[in-house]
Amino acid sequence: MTMNKLLLSTALSLGLALPSVAATVAEGDKLAENQNYTYWLLDAIKSMDPQINTDVEGSGVLRSLFEGLYNEDQKGALVPGVATGFDLSEDKTVYTFKLRDNAKWSNGDPVTANDFVYSWRRLADPKTASEYAWYMELMQVKNSAAVIAGEVPPDQLGVKAIDDLTLEVTIEAPLPYFPKMLTHASTFPVNQKALEANGDKWTEAGTLVGNGAYVLKEHILGEKVVMEPNPNYWDNENTVIQKITALTINDVNAALTRYLSGELDRVDIPAGQYPTLKEQYPDQATSVPQSCSYIYMFNMDEAKGPAALKDIRVRKALSYAIDRDIVVEKILQGGQAPSYNWTHAATEGFAMPEIDYAKWTQEERLAKAKELLVEAGFGPDNPLKLTLNYNTSEDHKKIAIAVQQFWKGIGVDLTLNNMEWKVHTDKMQNQDFEVARYAWCGDYNEASTYLDLFTSYSGHNNGKFFSEEYDKLMKESKTAADPNPMYTQAEQILAKNMPMAPIYQYTKVEMIKPDMRGMGQENLMQNWYVKDMYRVAQ
Amino acid sequence: MVNQASTMPAAALTGKEVKGRSPWVDARRRFMRNKASVGGLIALILIGFIALFGDAIAQWSNEEIDFNVMGQALQLGGPSISNGHYFGTDDLGRDLYSRTLQGTRVSLMVGIVGAFIAVVVGTLYGAISGYVGGRTDQIMMRIVDILIAVPFMFVVILLLVMFGRSLFMLFFGIGMISWLNMARIVRGQTLSLKHKEFVEAAEATGVAPLTIILRHIVPNLLGIVAVYATLLVPEMILLESFISFLGLGVQEPLTSLGALISEGASTIYYGTIWQLGYPLLFFVITLFSFFFVGDGLRDAFDPKDR
Amino acid sequence: MITYILKRLAIAVPTLLFLIIVSFLLMHAAPGGPFTQERQVPAAVLANLNAKYGLDQPLWRQLASYIWGIVAHFDFGPSFIYKDRTVNEIIAQGFPVTLTYGTISFVVAVITGVGLGVAAAIYQNSWLDYLAVGISIGAQVLPNFVMAPLLLLTFTWWLGWLPGGGWEGGQWQYMVMPVIALATSYMASIARLTRASMLEVLTSNHIRTARAKGLPESRVILKHALKPALLPVLSYLGPAFVSMITGSVVVDFFFSTGGIGKSFVDSALNRDYAVMLGITILVGALTIAFNLVVDILYAWIDPKIRY
Repeated sequence: MTMNKLLLSTALSLGLALPSVAATVAEGDKLAENQNYTYWLLDAIKSMDPQINTDVEGSGVLRSLFEGLYNEDQKGALVPGVATGFDLSEDKTVYTFKLRDNAKWSNGDPVTANDFVYSWRRLADPKTASEYAWYMELMQVKNSAAVIAGEVPPDQLGVKAIDDLTLEVTIEAPLPYFPKMLTHASTFPVNQKALEANGDKWTEAGTLVGNGAYVLKEHILGEKVVMEPNPNYWDNENTVIQKITALTINDVNAALTRYLSGELDRVDIPAGQYPTLKEQYPDQATSVPQSCSYIYMFNMDEAKGPAALKDIRVRKALSYAIDRDIVVEKILQGGQAPSYNWTHAATEGFAMPEIDYAKWTQEERLAKAKELLVEAGFGPDNPLKLTLNYNTSEDHKKIAIAVQQFWKGIGVDLTLNNMEWKVHTDKMQNQDFEVARYAWCGDYNEASTYLDLFTSYSGHNNGKFFSEEYDKLMKESKTAADPNPMYTQAEQILAKNMPMAPIYQYTKVEMIKPDMRGMGQENLMQNWYVKDMYRVAQ
Repeated sequence: MVNQASTMPAAALTGKEVKGRSPWVDARRRFMRNKASVGGLIALILIGFIALFGDAIAQWSNEEIDFNVMGQALQLGGPSISNGHYFGTDDLGRDLYSRTLQGTRVSLMVGIVGAFIAVVVGTLYGAISGYVGGRTDQIMMRIVDILIAVPFMFVVILLLVMFGRSLFMLFFGIGMISWLNMARIVRGQTLSLKHKEFVEAAEATGVAPLTIILRHIVPNLLGIVAVYATLLVPEMILLESFISFLGLGVQEPLTSLGALISEGASTIYYGTIWQLGYPLLFFVITLFSFFFVGDGLRDAFDPKDR
Repeated sequence: MITYILKRLAIAVPTLLFLIIVSFLLMHAAPGGPFTQERQVPAAVLANLNAKYGLDQPLWRQLASYIWGIVAHFDFGPSFIYKDRTVNEIIAQGFPVTLTYGTISFVVAVITGVGLGVAAAIYQNSWLDYLAVGISIGAQVLPNFVMAPLLLLTFTWWLGWLPGGGWEGGQWQYMVMPVIALATSYMASIARLTRASMLEVLTSNHIRTARAKGLPESRVILKHALKPALLPVLSYLGPAFVSMITGSVVVDFFFSTGGIGKSFVDSALNRDYAVMLGITILVGALTIAFNLVVDILYAWIDPKIRY
């Protein structure tokens, strides 16, 4: 928090060296002889190209192979990566980053401001066809929308190299959390030479040129990824882990079995198993907050939404009737928090508003829910009939089944409709649903990453909730000195209108070998860096 | 459901018996002498009976959640008479007894309907192809040759992914896979029946070809059809279980034996062994029985033994 | 014989074409496309993506250029999801894996299955027979998605003898569990078939004649009974091999072997059109080839059959 504040202030002078954190071995820790680290991937890595990758697991690998302007420390605060600091203009729209002079690519070339210019243009360039091109827009880099749409050439993008070590970025409007967005994998630089030499094949082991702490040794699709330290990395002397292996295991239970038999150092715990494992392995089972929020979205679309859901009383009744304590304590059992709002409670700077029904007992909620449904004209002779869409997953299924029972208790007849992921997503985006499971994970550690979703101009507002008041608030928050009170107000509008039923807020529930250190768990975004990890002797 | 299917050949037997002379009586005698087959038949009737009427003693429905047990399946969810969960509960606290029964009903239905579709389509296709003969026969059999080379499991996965999962899609997909072999077998048999006197007599009296196929050819194929149908049912059930494993099976809160087993198998790491055990028991007994009955029928109808 | 083979190969072409067209249309009829994501891709970006992968063309043109790519360059196109790989590469990496453990499983299944079946037939109604029948039916009805976690639990967790998954270039430790999981049910079917047909052959006239000639029993069985008894087994092997490839989904899923079974299911779920089509065509071609091989073998073993 303090570090971020510091970074955000214009007072930060160029070149002010923040302490580098790469694997700062804590005092008293003795390093183990074995410094290999093996972790679990649910799926095959789809791409190792920073501008092409779209998923979280891919980003994990990219954070080892590449390095952006900034990294995050153990708690999620910004620390210098390739950039050592920046200057911010008076009007807060021009950032001038100073790059370190010892940053090198794995082929020995220096990392320059031009590499960033090339890569950012590449992200926005229609020719690249990146599914994450919108991230440039989210960062509000000048002309990004026009570049993505192909209206102006990529060289019009608001990013330029003043000299080899000075990068200037112009953004459309002041954006207080802009620097926080720079740790995202899609902003990592790529090596133009390597790209041009090898075309689409540049990401293969052997040809991949990165500027991160590790280099790619082997990548067998659907089996494993192997990485080893990059001798050209500027901070290589502080890299401790000597070999990273990421194993793809599609079955969570199989992965856990393999962890328990010693093949992995880190693995997710399937829902419901945390209490038992915590008892058996108190030093290994962990649960820490993670910035994602799980909801049931109501379809309020003019044309396609069911009439009942346009009635605010019905939406409230449905939300009240969900017993969130049962969901988190009896189904998930991994320390997740019952949720009555949208933004993850641990989000930096976010102040939780007073939400009335959060404090009621479940009996009170149920009584109120029944009352509201009757008021809305539903009852035993006229039961409310709804359909819930959810995508295939053991956890979603369990929650859906429980909610079906909760709603049965207030006389709602819920049909479950399980579909595979692509169909689910497609139906949501076309407002072809009544109630749908939805989850959102923050792109950066700030409440707007959540709250922007319910603006009328958001591309993700699939339930089509519209509130002028809400839109106005969110627009104003962009330029406010302290947007957090506005975020709290926005949450109150959501609670009043209930465009979705919040259910729970995520935790990362994992088994981690007890000799591992520097796992970055306190980082709400769960952005860990292997270069910060090490094993201690026991 | 089960009763109907397993006694289908028997019903056919009695129907024929009235007419007098019959390989059917022989077949029945041979079948009844085969202990494994008779045992299988009895087991099937039993399973069918439990699946249909077992709900009478269930204390929970297949979708009710026992909130006392929910989340503590390992500690509280074991089989118990006192809390009414005879087979224990799943992780959500739903009663496995009534879920297993309901799953058995779905699995049997999928098996039997799938086999039925295969039999009807396969028999008609094969009989028409064999009876009409000539060019039509060649074209129809080439089509079968082409279809048989299609990896149908893949197509079923595609169908379920494309059109969403539903019982109808399951039947359609599964039925589609399995009629091809049936058609080949029936065609072969038809070719040999075609020149029998009774067929030629019917032709001479000007009976329409379709009527001949339905009245004269098909009834004479019933034996072999019954054998293959009985052996198809367990295959269909196995197929459905694979589809359930892929997560493309029936919609909750409905379930099938395949879905229950797949769920149970994923939790055996955590000691809730009954979640796998009971559904697997029903599954295995059902399949065993169908295999035994099918084998018995084959031996009973096998012309080589005569 | 040669004309027969040529005729069969001639059918292969329309078959594959049919397969491609059906899969292609099914795939495109499905809701959602390869770029459907929770974070909806902005219209402009989606247009770029579609343009890049040719999805903005009319369907028939996509289909035509896809088929042309295969015919002219043996190029199955790029993967829409694994964007730094082509379909050829994905298949080239996954297929040898599937083929290796598939073939080993197949051989294991045939040898143990035939052995078990023959033993059961020779010692009909002995305890050995009952045991063999029991094992084979039991193995046949135990789905491999139950077997796989049981194996994992036993050999990896309790006993700690085998690594829980991976391929590592096909070292034997990594192959044991996949092969057991895959081979068992086929072993069972083969054993049942062998037993039944062996019993039939053993009571036939030519075996009686052979015995009457005073040949030793082992010779009777190996020389005279086995060959005809294997004919029905042989015709089972074609479809069995193909369904093994389908069954490899389970192996890939539990043991992270990285074969094409999992790739196929993933590609269907991800709408990775090109990968899905590529694998479908591959498996279709294999089916045709394998059925042909089986037929030829059939003719070779049983000279009475003429094509």
